Amino acid sequence: MIELLHVYKRFGIKIAVSNLSFKAQQGDIVGFVGPNGAGKTTTMRLITGYLKPTEGKVKIFNENPIIHRLSILPRLGYLPENNPLPIDMTVREYLSFIAEVKKEKQIEKIIEELHIDDVYEKKIDQLSRGYKQRVGLATALCGKPDILLLDEPTSGLDPIEQDVIKDLIKKLAKKRIVIFSTHILSEIEDVATRLLIINDGSLLFDGSKPKGKGSVETLFKKLIKKS
Amino acid sequence: MKALYKKELMQLLNSPVGYSVPIVFALFLGYLFIKDVFVIGSASLKPFFSVAPWLLFILIPALSMRSISEEKRTNTIEVLLTLPLSEETVVFAKLLSLFTIIAITLGLTLSIPLVLGFISALYVPEIIVGYVGLLLLSSLYLSFSLFVSSRVLNQIASFSVSVIILFLMTTLSSDFLANILPKAVQDVLLFGSPLLHLDNFVKGVVDLRSLSYFILLIVLFYKLTVTELKKRI
Repeated sequence: MIELLHVYKRFGIKIAVSNLSFKAQQGDIVGFVGPNGAGKTTTMRLITGYLKPTEGKVKIFNENPIIHRLSILPRLGYLPENNPLPIDMTVREYLSFIAEVKKEKQIEKIIEELHIDDVYEKKIDQLSRGYKQRVGLATALCGKPDILLLDEPTSGLDPIEQDVIKDLIKKLAKKRIVIFSTHILSEIEDVATRLLIINDGSLLFDGSKPKGKGSVETLFKKLIKKS
Repeated sequence: MKALYKKELMQLLNSPVGYSVPIVFALFLGYLFIKDVFVIGSASLKPFFSVAPWLLFILIPALSMRSISEEKRTNTIEVLLTLPLSEETVVFAKLLSLFTIIAITLGLTLSIPLVLGFISALYVPEIIVGYVGLLLLSSLYLSFSLFVSSRVLNQIASFSVSVIILFLMTTLSSDFLANILPKAVQDVLLFGSPLLHLDNFVKGVVDLRSLSYFILLIVLFYKLTVTELKKRI
């Protein structure tokens, strides 16, 4: 379970996250939406323990992700914002390294599922943005994590690839917690079971995804305007 | 740890700096050796041990400058630090991979004492201890340069800062300083000089003070680098 309790994160005088509280449990597919600079990436980084909250508590399976990082991180798959990858390595070299660290024995299955077989021997530098994104996703999926944190997972993908990723998220979420951030509101309608709307670091909405086509967009625009 | 070590070593060997450092080092020292033997007519390892530290303080920062600073600049550090690896493991694997390259580099120069052995009598234990001293000095330079790389985002800045500070450390025992500084200050500075401690090894003496000096400083900069990575802003 993921639990954030009255979390604040400040960078100097800038407040990135303000009094953020929410919980997520197994089976939840949480769509995390907000304008640029709303605090989505900072929240993801707080959950992974990459950043320390200024105030408040972050608990992953009831443990502090910074103090107990070595017991929590094997259970967590993370695709960071902009998908940073070592461009001087081949896909095979990089994924073999990740699989070894995360003790993933079925890396071939992930490669097959994400259709990266054809670029397996290529240098990451030579890949298209879509393929790079798939390599980043493969990194997150290694080790069969209980929690998947995906910061803009469909960024740079064409509509067909986006559908593949959306189906994959739905499939993966059955036994996991998935939190994904996106700018594309239709993705929330297609994939998420829960919706978190954030702006200026504050949570504006936490609840079930509203039903009906265009309802997420209507709610999002209404809340952003109000804030 | 093994996986990260392999990855780091592979990245180093695939980079131009990774393979040019051993080549430049071996070629330069090989040239000096040939010049000494055939032009000056001197068959000794002394020039090798006195020039090597000066080359190392430039080549080691060049080798390690991008180790952490580049990871920070490209943000691959975020991926690395959200993998189930401790910060200690990350720093140790990076140090070990850099050390491997330096060990290969020094290994390439073993041809010098081998050739020398054919033309004059050599005392092998002295040479071994001398090489151990060079490895310790290199580890100190590596540990320090890696710490600088963890503090500085730009790899060129990381290289420059490392070279300047290592240059100052290396020149602490110079004759120039001995002449201009008061004796008390000079004594303190001399103890901090890595060259002075290397000298003991080059003479074939394993001095415990010198050994402790190297080990303490290597561990200190390793710990400082770990602390730097543990910082959660």
